[in-house]
Amino acid sequence: MDPECSRLLPALCAVLADPRQPVADDTCLEKLLDWFTTVTEAGSSLLLLQENPCLVELLFRVLKSQDLSSRILSFSLRLAGIFAAQEDCFQYLQQGELLPMLFGEVGPLGGAAWTAPAVRSGWIQGLRTLAQHPSALRFLAACGAVDTIFSLQGDPSLFVASAAGQLLVHILDLAMRGPAEGRCSPQACDWPACAQKIVCHIEDSLCSMATPQVTQALNVLTTVFGHCHGLWTQGLWVRLSPLVARLLEKDPVPASHSLVDLLLSVARSSVPSSDRGLWETLAQTLSHLSPTQAGPLALGILKLQDCPQALRTQAFGVLLQPLACVLEAAAQAPGPPGLLHGAAGDPMAVDTLLCSKSACVGLLCCALTHLGLLQPLPQRPSPWPQAPLLGAAVTVLRLCSGSVAPTSDVGGRLCAILVGCGRVQRAALDFLGALSQGAAPLFPLQVLKKAFQATLRWLLSSPKTPGCCDLDPRTQLFLRELLPVLQKRLCSPCWEVRDSGLEFLTQMTRHWGGQAGFRQALLASEVPELTRQLLQDPESYVRASAVTATGQLSSWGLLAAPASPERPGAQQKSLLVELLHVLCADSEGFPRRAVTQVFTEWLRDGHADVAEDPERFVARVLQAASRDPDWEVRAQGLELALVFLGRLLGPRGSHRPCAVALPEAAPLGTLAQALQVLCRVQLFEFAFRALFDCDRPVAQKSCDLLLFLRAKAAPCGSPQEAGDSPTVASVEATLQRWQAGEQGQPLGYLEPGAVMAVLRSIDLEGLRDTLAESSDHVEKSPQSLLQDMLAAVGVLGENEADCY
Amino acid sequence: MPEIRVTPLGAGQDVGRSCILVSIAGKNVMLDCGMHMGFSDDRRFPDFSYITRSGRLTDFLDCVIISHFHLDHCGALPYFSEMVGYDGPIYMTQPTQAICPILLEDYRKIAVDKKGEANFFTSQMIKDCMKKVVAVHLHQTVQVDDELEIKAYYAGHVLGAAMFQIKVGSESVVYTGDYNMTPDRHLGAAWIDKCRPNLLITESTYATTIRDSKRCRERDFLKKVHETVERGGKVLIPVFALGRAQELCILLETFWERMDLKAPIYFSTGLTEKANHYYKLFIPWTNQKIRKTFVQRNMFEFKHIKAFDRAFADSPGPMVVFATPGMLHAGQSLQIFRKWAGNEKNMVIMPGYCVQGTVGHKILSGQRKLEMEGRQVLEVKMQVEYMSFSAHADAKGIMQLVGQAEPENVLLVHGEAKKMEFLKQKIEQEFRLLPDAKKPRLLHGTLIMKDSNFRLVSSEQALKELGLAEHQLRFTCRVHLHDTRKEQETAVRVYSHLKSVLKDHCVQHLPDGSVTVESILIQAAAHSEDPGTKVLLVSWTYQDEELGSYLTSLLKKGLPQAS
Repeated sequence: MDPECSRLLPALCAVLADPRQPVADDTCLEKLLDWFTTVTEAGSSLLLLQENPCLVELLFRVLKSQDLSSRILSFSLRLAGIFAAQEDCFQYLQQGELLPMLFGEVGPLGGAAWTAPAVRSGWIQGLRTLAQHPSALRFLAACGAVDTIFSLQGDPSLFVASAAGQLLVHILDLAMRGPAEGRCSPQACDWPACAQKIVCHIEDSLCSMATPQVTQALNVLTTVFGHCHGLWTQGLWVRLSPLVARLLEKDPVPASHSLVDLLLSVARSSVPSSDRGLWETLAQTLSHLSPTQAGPLALGILKLQDCPQALRTQAFGVLLQPLACVLEAAAQAPGPPGLLHGAAGDPMAVDTLLCSKSACVGLLCCALTHLGLLQPLPQRPSPWPQAPLLGAAVTVLRLCSGSVAPTSDVGGRLCAILVGCGRVQRAALDFLGALSQGAAPLFPLQVLKKAFQATLRWLLSSPKTPGCCDLDPRTQLFLRELLPVLQKRLCSPCWEVRDSGLEFLTQMTRHWGGQAGFRQALLASEVPELTRQLLQDPESYVRASAVTATGQLSSWGLLAAPASPERPGAQQKSLLVELLHVLCADSEGFPRRAVTQVFTEWLRDGHADVAEDPERFVARVLQAASRDPDWEVRAQGLELALVFLGRLLGPRGSHRPCAVALPEAAPLGTLAQALQVLCRVQLFEFAFRALFDCDRPVAQKSCDLLLFLRAKAAPCGSPQEAGDSPTVASVEATLQRWQAGEQGQPLGYLEPGAVMAVLRSIDLEGLRDTLAESSDHVEKSPQSLLQDMLAAVGVLGENEADCY
Repeated sequence: MPEIRVTPLGAGQDVGRSCILVSIAGKNVMLDCGMHMGFSDDRRFPDFSYITRSGRLTDFLDCVIISHFHLDHCGALPYFSEMVGYDGPIYMTQPTQAICPILLEDYRKIAVDKKGEANFFTSQMIKDCMKKVVAVHLHQTVQVDDELEIKAYYAGHVLGAAMFQIKVGSESVVYTGDYNMTPDRHLGAAWIDKCRPNLLITESTYATTIRDSKRCRERDFLKKVHETVERGGKVLIPVFALGRAQELCILLETFWERMDLKAPIYFSTGLTEKANHYYKLFIPWTNQKIRKTFVQRNMFEFKHIKAFDRAFADSPGPMVVFATPGMLHAGQSLQIFRKWAGNEKNMVIMPGYCVQGTVGHKILSGQRKLEMEGRQVLEVKMQVEYMSFSAHADAKGIMQLVGQAEPENVLLVHGEAKKMEFLKQKIEQEFRLLPDAKKPRLLHGTLIMKDSNFRLVSSEQALKELGLAEHQLRFTCRVHLHDTRKEQETAVRVYSHLKSVLKDHCVQHLPDGSVTVESILIQAAAHSEDPGTKVLLVSWTYQDEELGSYLTSLLKKGLPQAS
């Protein structure tokens, strides 16, 4: 431990043990425990306690104190657990009888403090941490802790109850790890006493008439089979499976969710290799549960790597049933038979679909979601009924939008339930999107966004005609219908819709900008013009998306209106001007950020307008970005400068941070010219100022940029080296003032020679290392924590309750 | 009464990361989704494992409601919707919808870009999350689905803050979020009608405090600022972009006007227009005074307050600067603080809570030598003041709200356990143990007069004491159904219909062919004249009067067609 922390610790322990000195902030205690965990993980706890006797003293004083707050008591229990996790330290604490006093019946367990959930939680967490060795097991047995944990499983605080269950599993695992490891005898007589006690308790709970107790037992078992991998788990299942199977005989099946979780957990463990009866139980469970309850189980079964085909077929049937019912109900005339063959007949699924709106919505959403999750998996059933499922999803969507009028009674009722139901629409669209690998007037916004996503996935996965780089005719046909819809969406009164429309357009253009069919369809529509108009949108999110979209369209030459033949390219140019205007004048950060990103892409890809006069372009962008109040715009401006530098001096190396990449030096002539250009675009004023930016990422970016430049120039010497000229001295003086925070004075025009001299004189590596540490590393240090806790004593009385 | 289940996933008995799960009549609603700014690991977000382990989130949750824009109430929202995967609707008021993303963006910058934290949401995620938001108006009943409806009430506290009533059938819960029962300089007092919810979930930050008038604190604040400026010092007020900043701006603006002061007041870059724009936009949400004067002059168009440029910090002479962030943990406020800290003429006023570890927390607890980056030590000679302007209801206010809403039960959250215990007793004393004599109360029982004594006992007890047998009183009714099938088949159809409709009741088909629902008995008989009609004989005890009447009206509508 740091000597400074050791020095502060006694005073802090005294404060913690003093009930008159309330600790203001719960987070401090949590952070203190984090720190002790780190310290004990790195070294001996025993040594820690011996070197800092104030810690044991604190635990004793806490026990003696009558009116100590529950949070300090809880903290002390957890702290003791951290120390006692090492066996020698455990023995040390045992010598002083400290552990029984903390965790035994004479401790807080028997007192008034026990009513506080924080204390019960601290007790459990303390034991959880200390239960790491055989001595701990003996201690748990001796102090009767296991019985207390049993009762805490039903604690009114959910967090305490859940932690109690997990502690039981941990103890069981620890007990079985010792002498019984490697045996899988179901006869628990040769199991350790502690394990026997826990297993008997689980058996009793499984036989209980009270559902909460059954749930507790099932949850504990689920964790056991999920986390413990010893052979003994197989023996445990042999012993308990008849009790679990008996639950299925009850009507209704108690704790069905937990039962499903358990069965899947067992099926994923090593049990199936030894007990084939498990598949039988799973099949029974599938048929006993209601369609909604059985869904997650069916999905879980289908995800299993190795399971009998009959069970898989049964499980797939459960997932298909609801959609089969929908297809059948919506059919205008009897459809082709056997689409989802045999699945539609189950009356239970039909009943559930029709009995109430919430049941119907719930069942359909579950079925769609589960099938969507199953679709991309390699273990999905084969053959996969792609076409009928697609038909079912579309039918569901049509029922929701009211565009289908089934004649059957069931169909009519389904239609009434589903019309306008956003939740089912979202699920169906998600499913439709998932199926891609293999619009109504009052759309809820989220539905529209999902429709865009699903459409995009379909379009991008549509098959390409071999030997032809263009879109297939069906996609082209679809595009012609899609663009008017997109046009309409771009005019929507909801900003969310306009924004999603623009995002969709950007992605579509990114993928298809070069394909003739797409270009033709897009240019024939009003979409490009509308997109451009949205640069003036009142909502800043939309303006930003419009900037990105127009940037993308322009990159592919899709923004020019061919209407003015006498001034070719006029519109393109004015887009550059328009975007520059956004960068200089928009009051919000998002559009300005988008502009710098678009410009960086343009520069990187050699956009025609930029290529005309890159130097002038970069000068204008840097001038605007360097003054921007938004640090992300400044950082992106420097990124653009880096791209420019790469164009002048050669690439930065393959995708690695330039500071590390050590770029090859540039030839002297190129370097001199490049430096002249960089001075003319006033890059250095921006970069040097940015080195001392109050926003760390800007300073980091600038540091990277200057290091890159210096490395490029390093072996060449520099043109007109002027180390001692008055310009260099004045630049250095200005930089020092900037570093001190006085940033009013400008640098003025710099000569390349002066720049190189200054670059060599700044400790850029040192600066980079300082910046690499996150700005709150001081805040996070343990000394800072101890100092803060000590300083806060008695000061924060009024502030403590105050929050935001 | 169906069970109402409340599970705090955060801020049950503490402050920070408010998130409460309410299950009411089969509907699950999440109330707020806040973050704890004191942690920078998983603990900063609520414990969602409780809801994620039960399968797909969106199927489990019917909606999320956000009470106001403070990060301890909405800070985890993009994480929950874009990273945990909640896909359903999120409800909040319009001002909250407008302001929320700005604060989230502000915090994201600090967390990810300045502290270098990973696993945090991005700008795109904030936007995508905001696309899931549905804005609600005050007092507008919003139908989330056929059964679940919500309604917002004015909560004061901050612009756009609302309390929400959640209703399913006849069951209802009111969640207050943070609220303030006394009007302040720019907001009105919280108000709710006598909605008599089954449960009122109220914050209890100031459960044991009776707060002094905010006017005193405001006077104190102005006095301190004025004194510093008069002696030529500079005043730094670290704030978050929105909320308290605007309140203090109004305060200073009015004071500067009245006192004809010349020292400049600056507001940190990029925030002025955006923040004040929203306050201008949502004038109807502010208090009456601001609304009235709005006709002559918009209070949020400040004459004396100008945008700050970092070069101004070096200008000589007095000035007042509002700068972000509010806890002096990074950025501009910290940069200005470093510059001004060494001069005893200057002052920093912390108008809100600071988490441990931040410079704000350190100076508030009296530390005067601060270690900064690179082992530099900063000596703080400037004056440090703390002023609490937080607008929560105090003990009196909470009691007042309980009185207004008249709930059947009260649940205290967002406060400390000990203080809650105290307030719990106060509420019980005032509203339970000493019932208001004027309020009518319904009692069921039997009055026994014996030996000139009166005793009110339960009916069972009375029967037992008097040795009497209970008389059964049953209502009967006949319902005619058009059904050509046999009586037994009609009974089976009645049984399956009722079984599907009455999920919460015990419906049985007895061997003699009759159907029972609780105490209600239904028998199908042939009609004496019309063979195509069956008569249903329905009878029930007076205890089940409500269910009996409901059942008869249900049967009168006929049975569904057999599929």
